[in-house]
Amino acid sequence: MNRLCNSMEPRVMDDDMLKLAVGEQGPREEAGQLAKQEGILFKDVLSLQLDFQNILRIDNLWQFENLRKLQLDNNLIERIEGLENLTHLVWLDLSFNNIEAIEGLDALVNLEDLSLFNNRITKIDSLDSLVKLQVLSLGNNQIGNMMNIIYLRRFKALRTLSLSGNPIAEAEDYKMFICAYLPDLVYLDFRRIDDHMKELAEMKHQYSIDELKHRENLIQARLEDEQARREELEEHKAAFVEHLNGSFLFDSMYAEDVEGSKLTCLPGVSELLEAYKDKFVIICLNIFEYGLKQQEKRKVELDTFNECIHEAIQENQEQGKHKIAKFEEKHLLSLSAIRDESELTKLEKKIVEYSGDITELFNVLMTLEMQLVEQLEETINMFERNIVDLVGLFIENVQSLMAQCRDLENHHHEKLLEISINTLEKIAKGEFDEDLPDDVRSLFVDKDTIVNAVGASHDIHLLKIDNREDELVTRINSWCTHLVDKIHKDEITRNHKRVKEINQYIDHMQNELDNLECSDLID
Amino acid sequence: MEVLKEKVEEEEAAEREEAAERAERGEKTLRPVEVRREEAPLTQEALRDLEKKLSEILVPGKISISTKDTIDILKLPVSYQTNTPKEEHLLQVADNFSRQYSDLCPDRVPLFLHPVNECGLPKFVSTTLRPTLMPYPELYNWESCAQFVSDFLSMVPLPDPLKPIVQQQEKAPAKKYAIKPPRDLSSKFEQEQEMKRQEQIKAEEERRLREEEERLLEAEKAKIDPLHGLRVHCWVLVLSGKREVPETFFIDPFTARSYSPQDDHFLGIESLWNHKNYWVNMQDCWNCCKDLVFDLGDPVRWEYLLLGTDKPHLSTTEEEDTGMNDDEDLDNLCKDDKDKSFDMPSSWVEQIDISPEAFETRCPNGKKVIQYKRAKLEKWAPYLNSNGLVCRLTTYEDAECTKTLEIKEWYQNREDMLERKQINKVTGLNIDYFKPGHPQALRVHSYKTMQPGMDRVMEFYETARVDGLIKREETPKTMTEYYQGRSDFLSYRHINFGPRVKKLVLNSAESNPRPVVKITERFSRNPAKPADEDVAERVFLILDERIQLRYHCREDHITASKREFLRRTEVDSKGNKIIMTADMCVSFEVEPMEHTKKLLYQYEAMMQLKNEEKLSRHQAWESELEVLEILKLREEEEEAHTLTISIYDTKRNEKSKEYREAMERVMHEEHLRQVEAQLDYLAPFLAQLPPGEKLTRWQAVRLKDECLSDFKQRLIDKANLIQARFEKETQELQKKQQWYQENQVTLTTEDEDFYLSYCSQAMFRIRILEQRLNRHKELAPLKYLALEEKLYKDPRLVELLKVFA
Repeated sequence: MNRLCNSMEPRVMDDDMLKLAVGEQGPREEAGQLAKQEGILFKDVLSLQLDFQNILRIDNLWQFENLRKLQLDNNLIERIEGLENLTHLVWLDLSFNNIEAIEGLDALVNLEDLSLFNNRITKIDSLDSLVKLQVLSLGNNQIGNMMNIIYLRRFKALRTLSLSGNPIAEAEDYKMFICAYLPDLVYLDFRRIDDHMKELAEMKHQYSIDELKHRENLIQARLEDEQARREELEEHKAAFVEHLNGSFLFDSMYAEDVEGSKLTCLPGVSELLEAYKDKFVIICLNIFEYGLKQQEKRKVELDTFNECIHEAIQENQEQGKHKIAKFEEKHLLSLSAIRDESELTKLEKKIVEYSGDITELFNVLMTLEMQLVEQLEETINMFERNIVDLVGLFIENVQSLMAQCRDLENHHHEKLLEISINTLEKIAKGEFDEDLPDDVRSLFVDKDTIVNAVGASHDIHLLKIDNREDELVTRINSWCTHLVDKIHKDEITRNHKRVKEINQYIDHMQNELDNLECSDLID
Repeated sequence: MEVLKEKVEEEEAAEREEAAERAERGEKTLRPVEVRREEAPLTQEALRDLEKKLSEILVPGKISISTKDTIDILKLPVSYQTNTPKEEHLLQVADNFSRQYSDLCPDRVPLFLHPVNECGLPKFVSTTLRPTLMPYPELYNWESCAQFVSDFLSMVPLPDPLKPIVQQQEKAPAKKYAIKPPRDLSSKFEQEQEMKRQEQIKAEEERRLREEEERLLEAEKAKIDPLHGLRVHCWVLVLSGKREVPETFFIDPFTARSYSPQDDHFLGIESLWNHKNYWVNMQDCWNCCKDLVFDLGDPVRWEYLLLGTDKPHLSTTEEEDTGMNDDEDLDNLCKDDKDKSFDMPSSWVEQIDISPEAFETRCPNGKKVIQYKRAKLEKWAPYLNSNGLVCRLTTYEDAECTKTLEIKEWYQNREDMLERKQINKVTGLNIDYFKPGHPQALRVHSYKTMQPGMDRVMEFYETARVDGLIKREETPKTMTEYYQGRSDFLSYRHINFGPRVKKLVLNSAESNPRPVVKITERFSRNPAKPADEDVAERVFLILDERIQLRYHCREDHITASKREFLRRTEVDSKGNKIIMTADMCVSFEVEPMEHTKKLLYQYEAMMQLKNEEKLSRHQAWESELEVLEILKLREEEEEAHTLTISIYDTKRNEKSKEYREAMERVMHEEHLRQVEAQLDYLAPFLAQLPPGEKLTRWQAVRLKDECLSDFKQRLIDKANLIQARFEKETQELQKKQQWYQENQVTLTTEDEDFYLSYCSQAMFRIRILEQRLNRHKELAPLKYLALEEKLYKDPRLVELLKVFA
């Protein structure tokens, strides 16, 4: 056991150790010779075994980015660390070490098999990101609280678990409890759980499990709800009309409007406000609905465009593939013909012929590509025009609706002003007999004050409306520009890639021919 | 609606069948056409019914019995041999109708009204139709029904294709169902009105003159037909309107095909009838049947024979046909002396009875041959041929049918699931088609010879095969396999063979497979792998030690990666083996990758491919073996040609038959036992009393006493009987013993043995008798008491004996 190693010096995981291990565990025989000859890159290593090395600290593993299996058992490791780069890891063995807490595993999202057997762990946690976990070995640790089991419920793929040798395993109810709380488990402490046991456990813990399930379901439902709401909001945002399906804008107008809210206590104002709000909200709703509809339209437009472009590209690719396939058929024959040809003049003639074929293919492929570029450009331009038109129309209509909002505000402002002045007059004449809060009454000192107050409120409202409008217009415009830009860029990238591909292929063909030529000439 | 229709159609079927039956029997007896069939004997009740009816009716005058086939005819029901007064009346009406008709339309052919039946008795055509319900679902729609009838009928040509039957001359044969023109099977037609008798005779002469010539001509071109439009033919007309029949159409009973009235082959209609009425067509048939209006309620177009028969709901008919639509305008216009209230007498024909065997056999004797122009169709009933052959179509190159072009054979109930065979005599290509369920999942097998290694294509039911093989094509030098739905995505494998190496020791054909020169395998895209690592095609050039790989093309690319491995075991200057060099792997990568440049990677890839090459070669070898195996199996199957028998087929399935018989036996025995158990102990005593009267108490008591005393007597008798036997046995034994003792000295060992065995047997018998006697003595009183008890409880006596109980 690892205690035996205590007598030995702790070692550092350095390059030499890793190289040695990689070399030893690498391919054998002929392949081994090759490996030696070439050297093995750490990033090509898939499996690494570092047991009984008296390692104190995990280190220097960052290069092993493709590692699938790592064995670090029977060392002196105290902390789990330095595994951040090993995202492909499937199998990790850290048994027989001195680890006290589970940590540093967050990057290992592909991990399926984790062994922490014979350590000093007291609590099961920090495993959240290991969604694919199937086998978990935690035997011979210090886990004392049965509630740790409940944490394991989140691992839907977990089938094998070992916990023997922990304080909780002493509990009388240990097996039953685990079987009940982890119903999908198949093996516990290296034994198959029989169905009878499962049934018994289920019956025994039915009530608490039902309760637990209920809670879990509630949480799940809440999460789903939130998710749905978030998605909906995203959708609205994509349509640039978020928060317009209610009184949000209206409320925000009054949120920062001190005077406006003060004036609501004047007689008749609250009714006025009510009516104003109703009308305002209706317009908002109109904008909202219209926005969603327009978004749908834009989406359809974009989808159609993408589909058409895709089709065109596919068709073009098919043609290209066809040409290449035809060429390759001939190519095989030509190559063998050239190989078999012994007479120099004929050989040269054939080589020239073949070279001509390659040039021909290049021309054909490039012509195809140029054709496609032209076709796509035209289509993209058309789409650009259409989408800009759509956006323009949308902005126009939204603006006219917003103008309605402003009209309402103006109207409301006038009425409010009228009421305010009337009130002022009444107060001046001493006819006003209703109680007003002091801060409100203080507005009614003279006409300027009250007109200013009402005006300030009005300004705030208009500002809010303007802001919302501006935001909408700016965002949709930038969306549109981005979209169009991206389409152009994508097309350019595609074109570059294709040209590069063709060139590469032609070069390869040409090279092959040249090589043949060389070897033939040498012969 | 639906049901009704079916019924009618079914009736038709029945009717036609009868016709068929008649025809068949006629054929069997090898008589000329006039020979009447012998009818199936009537059931008792039917006879009684008929008798009753007839006696009520009072048969007038003479009964016309044909003297020709007395034996046959006498077996026929009375209705076949006599005409009821009503029928006589109908015949008079028909005669009258016919007279007027020939007066009014002297140009037209006499009407087909009352042909004579098998007894030589004139019967009105409509009364020969008897709607009958049959228990076979196939007969419930017209297509399969017509098909059945056409199979069931055998065609007997009329002696004169122009004259069907003449009812005036009573001697003339009335062979209405077998009306058929000679060769041309396309379709036959009823007589045309514009043809005159003289013209017919002329045409007939012409025909006779040209007979030989015409045969040749017709073989060349069927057009020249001197009898065109002169032939008489009956067929079925189904009228539209009722029972979802959208359009009026004809059915030709001989071919079971339907024709539109627009068909050029139908030149005209003389008359129509069904089992209710008879109509004469008054429309001009200058444009064949195309312009005919089938409104039978229109008396201008269709002259009816009987006025106002039952509601004319039926739109289907027999023979010519019937069907009338609305009876609104039936009452205007009619023949002066027509009996207004007269309706069609019920049919004189026996109900048709088709046994399940006959139904299954379909054709007469289960076999039928139809000769077409340059083709011959043969049909057999299932299980008639031991190899399951049910149908064969032979096509010929020439009209004389001497040079066979192609043979198609259909099979049924084959255990090897063989369904169809197609033999092309010109190319020598055989194609066998199989139904799902062949042990090797074979679907199609086309070949020229059963010799292995020759041109051959086998198709398979790929879902029934583990390896997903769809098709395997073979030529002497190649084998191509197509796969589907494999987990390794293999879709195609092509193997080129080199010439077979001659071996000195020839063990068997299998041990000397052809050497594989090249294997080409193609794979469909495996979505789990990136395109650059997913091989689309790999070619093993075995002699060159070369392996070529072509990968799948990426989504957005037009070129695909390629890789070629050249494995040559070479030795470097120091004599070390070269494991791997860069020029042993030439690759083109669409997106150059780093790790593939490594020799190690290439080496490993090559090693793996070497392994796979071995597997593929093995696969090729196994495929060859499999072909041999299938060929062997096929030969065995052809040899055995076993037929399967459904477990529901109780007649043919031996096992189920045995089982059923055993069950029946058990049932029978059970029944006997029950009957025995129910023996009535009072019956003999009750029988002495006057029947039907109630028992008096005195009688009951006497009955009881008699019964008891009788039983007592029987018990005593039985005891005496046993006693007597016992004594007899004992005496015999004693005698024997005595004899033994007297002759003991002279006895041979054999005799002694015989004596001893006799003794032991006799002792055994005596002991048994003794036991029986004792038991009888024990049981007799109990039995007596039991009977007494039973008598007291007997429901017939219980009331009367209560007092004593």
